[in-house]
Amino acid sequence: MKRPVEQTQSKLDPAWPYAATPGFYDELLGDNEEVRAHWRKLSESLTAMGHDGLTRRWHDGRRLIHDNGITYNIYSDPQNNARPWQLDPIPLVMDPEEWKAIEAGITQRAMLFNTILADLYGPQRLLREDLLPRELVFPNPAFLRSCWGIMPQGGVFLHMYSADLARSPDGQWWVLADRTQAPSGAGYALENRLVTTRVMPDIFRASHVRRVANYFQAYRNALQRMVPVKRENPRIVVLTPGPYNETYFEHAFLARYLGYTLVEGADLTVRENRVYLKTLGGLLPVDVIVRRQDDAFCDPLELRSDSMLGVPGLVQAVRSGTVSVANALGSGLAESPAYAAFLPSLCRQLLGEKLKMPTVATWWCGQEGPLEYAAEHLEELVVKPTFPGTGEDPIFGEELSAAERERLIAKMRAHPGRYVAQEHVDLSTVPVWEDGALQPRHLVMRVFAVSTGSSYLVMPGGLSRISASLSNMVVSMQRGGGSKDTWVLGDGPAPEFSLLRQPTHPLEVSRATFDLPSRVADNLFWLGRYTERVEAVVRITRATLGRVFQEGDVARASGLNLGLHVLQAQGFLAERTGENTPERDLISMMYDPGSGLASNIHQVRQVAGLLRDRISVDAWLILNQLDQQFSEHSSAETVHVGVAQDRLNHAIITLSAFAGLVMEGMTRGDGWRFLDIGRRLERALQMAELLRNSLAREIPADIGVLEAVLEIADSSITYRSRYLTSIQTDLVLDLLLADEANPRSIAFQLARLQEDVDQLPASHTTIRRPAEARMALALLTGVQLADVRELVRDGFGSTTLDALFTRLIKDLVQLSETLTRAYFSHSPQSRQLTAS
Amino acid sequence: MKLQATHTTRYLYSDVVSTCHSEAHLTPRPCPGQTVLDHDLSIDPAPDFSATRSDYFGNPVTMFSISQPHRELTITSRCAIDLTPANAPRLQFSPPWEEVREEAHRRESEDDFDASQYTFESPLVTLGEAFAAYGAPSFSPGRPILDAANDLSRRIFEDFKYDKRATTISTPIHEVLESRHGVCQDFAHLMIACLRSLDLPARYISGYLRSDASLTGAEASHAWLAVWCPVLGWQGFDPTNNTMPGGRHVTLAWGRDYYDVTPVKGVALGGGEHVISVSVDVSPMPGE
Repeated sequence: MKRPVEQTQSKLDPAWPYAATPGFYDELLGDNEEVRAHWRKLSESLTAMGHDGLTRRWHDGRRLIHDNGITYNIYSDPQNNARPWQLDPIPLVMDPEEWKAIEAGITQRAMLFNTILADLYGPQRLLREDLLPRELVFPNPAFLRSCWGIMPQGGVFLHMYSADLARSPDGQWWVLADRTQAPSGAGYALENRLVTTRVMPDIFRASHVRRVANYFQAYRNALQRMVPVKRENPRIVVLTPGPYNETYFEHAFLARYLGYTLVEGADLTVRENRVYLKTLGGLLPVDVIVRRQDDAFCDPLELRSDSMLGVPGLVQAVRSGTVSVANALGSGLAESPAYAAFLPSLCRQLLGEKLKMPTVATWWCGQEGPLEYAAEHLEELVVKPTFPGTGEDPIFGEELSAAERERLIAKMRAHPGRYVAQEHVDLSTVPVWEDGALQPRHLVMRVFAVSTGSSYLVMPGGLSRISASLSNMVVSMQRGGGSKDTWVLGDGPAPEFSLLRQPTHPLEVSRATFDLPSRVADNLFWLGRYTERVEAVVRITRATLGRVFQEGDVARASGLNLGLHVLQAQGFLAERTGENTPERDLISMMYDPGSGLASNIHQVRQVAGLLRDRISVDAWLILNQLDQQFSEHSSAETVHVGVAQDRLNHAIITLSAFAGLVMEGMTRGDGWRFLDIGRRLERALQMAELLRNSLAREIPADIGVLEAVLEIADSSITYRSRYLTSIQTDLVLDLLLADEANPRSIAFQLARLQEDVDQLPASHTTIRRPAEARMALALLTGVQLADVRELVRDGFGSTTLDALFTRLIKDLVQLSETLTRAYFSHSPQSRQLTAS
Repeated sequence: MKLQATHTTRYLYSDVVSTCHSEAHLTPRPCPGQTVLDHDLSIDPAPDFSATRSDYFGNPVTMFSISQPHRELTITSRCAIDLTPANAPRLQFSPPWEEVREEAHRRESEDDFDASQYTFESPLVTLGEAFAAYGAPSFSPGRPILDAANDLSRRIFEDFKYDKRATTISTPIHEVLESRHGVCQDFAHLMIACLRSLDLPARYISGYLRSDASLTGAEASHAWLAVWCPVLGWQGFDPTNNTMPGGRHVTLAWGRDYYDVTPVKGVALGGGEHVISVSVDVSPMPGE
């Protein structure tokens, strides 16, 4: 019964035209254009679904990618905009038997590299016995001599290993490259899986695809085993070079998924030979560091002294055995492509086995025979630097002119040891769904292994990456390629299992946010301040711009003058020369990338960029759009007043949306609290500046000034509904200074500030109120006790009113500084000191 | 000859340093012709962590960190050394330099293995044609290696001007070669580059020089180099003074270049601007 069905399905449905490309192995189609057996389930399902069905489902997929904020940073992008992750809806399907061979091959390679590293960072028998040329180790910048002799926990150098695989036209899999330093991609593979299974859960289940979650459980177990001194709830952190790294999204994602804290080098400190995380709650010991940056950058004292990403003293802490680093410091040594030439013999010598999974044919030019071979066959080869990280790209011999080839050969002969030549594989093809049709693209599959202590576990799946076009043989996310989920078929239904739902041992859930790194708290505080500052400028500018065409009206004119005065007094608007009309000066200020509104908005976006893992995707998008709106005009001269007013109106709405997301969407932890403190503090400051520059001036505030102040303070309606009278100075002052019910008043901000500061960690732990709490309380009571009527009665231009605001501003600035000292431990820049 | 040395390194900061982590290669290394009688390292303010170990090259190295706020850091190293130099080798009787190169390549013994790692480029010693070319006149075919090295040392001494203001430790050696100015570290690096560019093993030595009006480089730590020679072992050359060390040179540590054996290096958090002052005093022990 079953056979005939399969036979009818062995060809692709005519609605899905696709053909194998001559000269390449096609993953989907075998001989006579027949669908390979392990792809049939999927191809039947796609046929049944039809293009329309896939289009509908994939619409959800793309939305998920957007909502989850899956991104990838392109280094060459000057804007440094993260670009959305490129995922193809059709997974790569792998035959179960073939996968077993890959698993065995990858496990063996991981074991082999671990053994090689243990020798090179120990007895160096391989070098003494010439099993590996010394030229590949001694001059290699990745050989970290200060890490020599350090034996990692359990002898495991490689907690993770990954390899890029490619299939040649005869169907054989080859290893293109080994990753031993800080392999990336496992997190993207998991995201691909989460998206693909959400889009086609039925097909996924029916296909009996093996689950990848147990790989991540093994990953957690591996890290647990690395804890140097066993204790309850060891602290494991993920060390990232920061938001500008190409795979930062993955660092943040993995940290979240596995339940670890994401940190940067400056968040860690070494005290008495132990690594600590600097948090709001104080220094917390760290047991294991999962590093996502190259080892050479991890300690400016003993490794690269020019590193700004490192933790001074880390190597000594590792040496003393108080902390473990995964992968072990020094593991990058095994990433030289030249090692491939020696792996078959090393495998026989070290493991007593034949190398199961070959590397693409490799010649290290430091030996005479290989150099001559490489020079003769350059057209068919790829030339790579022996030591990666020198900034040299692979060179494809076939792309060079005869003269360029000669020049390259001359360079290779001058420094033969620095070059490796590799055959390049005619990468297999796989269908991708593009513009509503199947198109062939080249495939490179990255696979992952994690240590199980004595051996390795290979993720049943991987990150399949596809070339940007059929003519392009370089598969790279940096160069516009895409990716696919990888389905390894199992023998039967896979058990349900996800780390997101049920870890094997329950996670310790703590409501406390003690792990909030000080750096993050600092950034949140400034995000709060900058957004409020931008709102203040927008509101003043909008009110001012709205008054430029009513100069005949006396009240309007004094409102205009007030706005210009305030903007200048607060340094947003340069001293006016009188050459331009007020509107031209205002519009220039809006778009001035140096000091005006645009630069303030840009600061908001920059600090938000540092908080990508802490704020929601929507909040990020909102701030990103705001920045784009104010940076796209190269010349402010072409902007009409109406357009500028629209922009300002829109900016108010955008900022309100952001404030709403923060109020409604953020957990009330210390992170939120610092953001709120930043906002309240800045809003109080801006209001104090506005009142000082309007009501405490020599010139008495007329009705026009009062109207403008109320408008800027967004309190006109409140005023009218409350007082039902003409605008009076004392009432305006009361509403904006002392009325605790008005969310724009200074008193309101101070009340919130006082509440927030009282909730900070230092306030719980000491009996006496800490300095910042006392200052916040003094500020609040100071305003509460002020007698508004008396202040006004003293007359305008009186020093009393001016003194009040001046002191308020001074105290607020001092509170900001006190908070900075108490919590942000602004790790001063570290510096190198050498003396002979 | 028994010598005593005091090496003081003082950092003065314009602002408070909250934490500092340091590494010091200040303990003299016992080696043929040098016995370490006594050594004492004192650090003020007192470190809250300190450990001495043997580094990759076998040198004693002290790691320490200070977590108490400070504006001034003083590291004082005092040692007593007994120098018993062997008779200077007869330069003419050393093997031809080409043979040394081949031996280092054959790498049959443990000594060869050790020597072979000093033939490669290192962080501060780049290799290249220019260095091979500068060294070439001294390395005529078949010339005994020590004679050739001695000649190279003499040429550097004559061609280059000792000038403390001309270079810093980050000045690349090809600039030193062009400008013909530098200090002892530069001359040692330069000569090492010439030797390694000819595929000969050469290592960098950090140490002190006994004060003497006739010699340069005594008021701070000194640097010279050694070239490898089968059977005879490593032979020192001091191109700054055109001498072969013996009786006046106290060895602290050796490595590929200054980077491996920097006397004191550290990373400080905070501190603002800083001034470093270093003094070295080497004199005969009382009664010598």
